[in-house]
Amino acid sequence: MSDPKTTFTGYARYRATGQLAFLLHRITGLGILLFLLIHIVDTSFVYFAPELYDHAIQIYRSLPFMIGEIFLVWAVFYHGFNGLRIIIFDLWKPEWWEKDIAVKSVYWVLVLSILAWLPAAFIMGKAVIENHFLGG
Amino acid sequence: MAEGKVRTVQPVATSEARWWLWLRITGVLMVLFVFPHVIIKDVIVGVHNIDTEYVAQVWENVLVRVFDFLLLFTTFTHGMVGLRQVLMDFVHSPSGRKTTTWILAVIWFVVTVMGTMAIIGGVSLQPGA
Ligand code: HEM
Repeated sequence: MSDPKTTFTGYARYRATGQLAFLLHRITGLGILLFLLIHIVDTSFVYFAPELYDHAIQIYRSLPFMIGEIFLVWAVFYHGFNGLRIIIFDLWKPEWWEKDIAVKSVYWVLVLSILAWLPAAFIMGKAVIENHFLGG
Repeated sequence: MAEGKVRTVQPVATSEARWWLWLRITGVLMVLFVFPHVIIKDVIVGVHNIDTEYVAQVWENVLVRVFDFLLLFTTFTHGMVGLRQVLMDFVHSPSGRKTTTWILAVIWFVVTVMGTMAIIGGVSLQPGA
């Protein structure tokens, strides 16, 4: 076991665009995984304990979870787009890791993930308002 | 990193190289499953329209179950290999790495089997429904 403090201060100290992309990719990946683990278990309740499934869904319908869901969807867009960027660079175009393109593509992925997410966030935001503020 | 040319190396066929490649293979495959899943369930259908009845209805189509199995398998495998990648930044001793990998493998196996059983078994009939 290495000293986790060294790794964490390393995250915070080393500042570069690639480092930003790396951190966001890592945080979104771990966040999605935490949700996925819970989500596979609660979905499997349809078979093992259907009444617990409806109870779990009830929790997902609460205001904090619906808002969390909107951000989770952004995390999936960001992680997916950035993952594709990494795969294309690593497996087909390693020369693109050359500084200029690598830095620009970080911002492109960030912008694209937000643009793709906005319509989804709008529709999901509407559902939040309809179900929690208009007595739906 | 030096400006300009990127240095490429021929990767040695170690197990770490295989984990690395697996993250990328599942990554490409998952795009086909993750984006449709999120857009359909979270955005179009919405959590207020999902319940056991809804699941029973969509799972009447075997292709949906196949899709959901591939979604489950690729995402959870990718995620657990990804978590292993993160943990390897903290755990350096060979024995620690071995233990970590085994713990993750057990969690991976149990959760994957649970999910797969549900997809095959389908929605259990509710008493009184
Ligand atoms: C939508 C398609 C996805 C693509 C294209 C993708 C792609 C990638 C790639 C290429 C990596 C390796 C990054 C590297 O080695 O630098 C990675 C890491 C990772 N992914 Fe994904 N991913 C996707 C979805 C997911 C999902 C749904 C989860 C959660 C279950 C997830 C969790 C992780 C984790 C935890 C890592 C490790 C992060 C790290 O080492 O810093 N990914 N992903």
